[in-house]
Amino acid sequence: MAWVFGIMTAAGLLIFMINGDGSGALEALVKGCDGAVSLTVTLAGAYILWSGLMRIAEKAGLIEKLAKRMQKPLSFLMPGCGDAAAPVALNLAANFFGLGAAATPFGIEAMQRLDRGDGRASNNMVMFIALNSSAIELLPTGVIALRTACGSAAPYDIVLPTFLASIAAAAAAVLSCKLLERVFK
Amino acid sequence: MPVAVFALIVYALIRRVNVYKAFVEGAAEALPRLLNILPYLAAMLAAIEIFRGSGALDAVVKLVGPALESVGLPAGTAPLILLRPFSGSASLALLKDILTEHGPDSPAGRTASVILGSTETVFYTVSVYFGSVGVTRTRHSIPAALISGIVGTAAGALLTSVF
Repeated sequence: MAWVFGIMTAAGLLIFMINGDGSGALEALVKGCDGAVSLTVTLAGAYILWSGLMRIAEKAGLIEKLAKRMQKPLSFLMPGCGDAAAPVALNLAANFFGLGAAATPFGIEAMQRLDRGDGRASNNMVMFIALNSSAIELLPTGVIALRTACGSAAPYDIVLPTFLASIAAAAAAVLSCKLLERVFK
Repeated sequence: MPVAVFALIVYALIRRVNVYKAFVEGAAEALPRLLNILPYLAAMLAAIEIFRGSGALDAVVKLVGPALESVGLPAGTAPLILLRPFSGSASLALLKDILTEHGPDSPAGRTASVILGSTETVFYTVSVYFGSVGVTRTRHSIPAALISGIVGTAAGALLTSVF
C-alpha cells in the first residue's frame, strides 16, 4: 500500500510540476481529502444503523450461534478465525444479495475481530479482503439498471457471465492468497 | 430484509434483551470507527485524485490500452478496466459512456457490463477495511486482490464472447 500511495502521488505531482500547474496539484490533493470526508458522512447513517442492529443480534446470542455454525465451512479459507466467522458470513451474504450498505459494517466488524493490534495484516484478513474484491453477487442491479436506462434489448443477458466471472475471480483470490501468504511475511 | 430486522427485534425482545440499550451501544461504536477510517480514505482518494487529475492515468490507458485490445478485448473497454480498481463512481460513469457510445448490446457494451459487475473497487476496499483496524502493513492483499480482478476481467471478457 505504501508503494501504491507513494508512486501515484509522486507521479501525479511530477506531471503537474512539469506542466507548471502547482496549484492544480494541491487542488487535486485537497479534492481527494474532501471526497473522503463526504464519503464518510454518506456512509455514517447506514453504518450507525447496522452497528446498532448487530449489537442487538449479539446480545440475543445470535452472533455466537452463527459464528459456531460458520467456523467449519470457513475453516479452509480462514483457519482459526474464531468468532469473526459470524460477521464474515454476514458480509459475504450481504454482498451476495446486493446489500452493499449492510456489507461494509459487517466487514468492518469482521476486521475488528480478526485484528491482533500489531498493525500487520494477518493471512485471514487478506483472505477476507481478497474475497470481497471478487464481488460475488446474485444480481448486479446497478449494471442492469444502467443497461435498461441505455435502452438495452436484453439487460439481464449479462447476469450469468457476470456471476461465472465472479466465481473465477474468487477462485483466483483464494489461490493467490494461499500461494502469496508464504512469500509476503 | 425488513423481515429479517423485524424477526431480529422480536427474537431479542423474547430473549429479554434491552434492545434500546443494545442498539445505542452498538451505534456509539460506529462513529469512532468511521473516524479511524477517514485518514486512510483521505490518503487513498488524494493519491487517486492527483494521479487522475495530472493525466497520468490517461497516459497509462494510452500506453496499455492498445495492448489490452490486441489480446481481444473490445475497443473502448480498456479505460474501464484500468480505472475499475480505483473508483466505483468513475467506473460507473465510464460504463454509461460506453453503453451510450457503443450500445448496451454491442460486444463492448456487454463486456464492459460484465467486467464492472464481476470486479470490485480494490483500493477503496483495502483502505476502508485495513483503515478500520489501523493496519498499514497490508502484505499480499493488493497483489492478491489485483490478481483476482485480472482473472475476473479476463473470465468476464471470455464468457461474454461465449454466451
